Amino acid sequence: MNKMTKIIRTLNHIFGFLAIAAFIYAFIVLIRLQPKMVAFEPLSALESALLTGVGFGLLIVLAFFLLSLLQVIRFIKHSDKLRFFPILLVISGVLSLLFVFSDVALLTDISKQFNEGWAQPEWAMVFPMLAFQFVIALLYLFLHVSGYFSKMQVDSVVRDVNIFLIVQYVGLISGGMGLAMGGLGFVYQSGWSLPVHTILSSLTIIFPYALAVLYWIITKLREKDRVWWDEKQMQDIGKSALVTLLINTILMLVLFIFTIQDLAGVVRMLWLPLYLFLTVFMFSLGNLYFSRRG
Amino acid sequence: MKLENHLRKYRFEHDEISQQDLANAVGVTRLTIHSIETGKFNPSTLLALKIADYFNASVEDIFYLVEDENEA
Repeated sequence: MNKMTKIIRTLNHIFGFLAIAAFIYAFIVLIRLQPKMVAFEPLSALESALLTGVGFGLLIVLAFFLLSLLQVIRFIKHSDKLRFFPILLVISGVLSLLFVFSDVALLTDISKQFNEGWAQPEWAMVFPMLAFQFVIALLYLFLHVSGYFSKMQVDSVVRDVNIFLIVQYVGLISGGMGLAMGGLGFVYQSGWSLPVHTILSSLTIIFPYALAVLYWIITKLREKDRVWWDEKQMQDIGKSALVTLLINTILMLVLFIFTIQDLAGVVRMLWLPLYLFLTVFMFSLGNLYFSRRG
Repeated sequence: MKLENHLRKYRFEHDEISQQDLANAVGVTRLTIHSIETGKFNPSTLLALKIADYFNASVEDIFYLVEDENEA
């Protein structure tokens, strides 16, 4: 086990136990405060401080999921082939990571609405999301402690393909969620806001994909005789780019035609994210499809 | 005409070398070797020569043309 692997493993153990403690703390505080906030009973200074503590706990959870994903990707790089379980771990890890941002957004909304004396329907989403993240955090911690990620199957990989494929899976998740976010904009047009819903949501959703691409670039930069893509990958990328170009052109044309009477409406705030996420989604899907099919 | 190959046979005759080890030796990804073996991808002349060189064989020993039934 090299030095970096040892450091990441130790950090994962520390942050893993801290994250579990943070979840338990969050559950205790939120279960205690929810009935009071729903009934608009005033919170004491201590209770407000406890609620702020939940936010700090979520930062630890965020760090744990980031470190865990780093560990999974390093594990996948040295796997003899990309199997279902590690892919599932990446997908659940990325979703959990995105849910941390959602937790913060929901708790901020709840707090604001409580202060304004408004109803807080977001409570219905907070607990299921936290429960999902808690289960995934427990699974990751179990795998870290059991040494599952220490079993490297392949010593040397001159031209990586597993990380390239993982980037495409993350692209599918980010692209799909971004398109879903764009779709919501058309459903809830009246309350749609450019800075919060379009910009902040887009940046949050693209964050895991940007990280995955960055990690892939770093691994490439560290290769001795760097070749960005081998000849088959180059062919797959070319085919994916063509499919992306065709689908994007058609769907964006359809969007333009359907919204031409109302170009000043919500489409003004959403066309760029829709274009971006459609590109990421189609390009990732194409790369995965062609890499398998040839 | 389509391109087929004896790559799998050559790998097994050479100490059952894995796809990953062959990929490392010729500088491509494991998936590229897998795709060549399963006939999903035709290698470039350069890659075919590298593979043949690795096995100390000629390109024609490993790669060969067959009639494509769909072409008729």
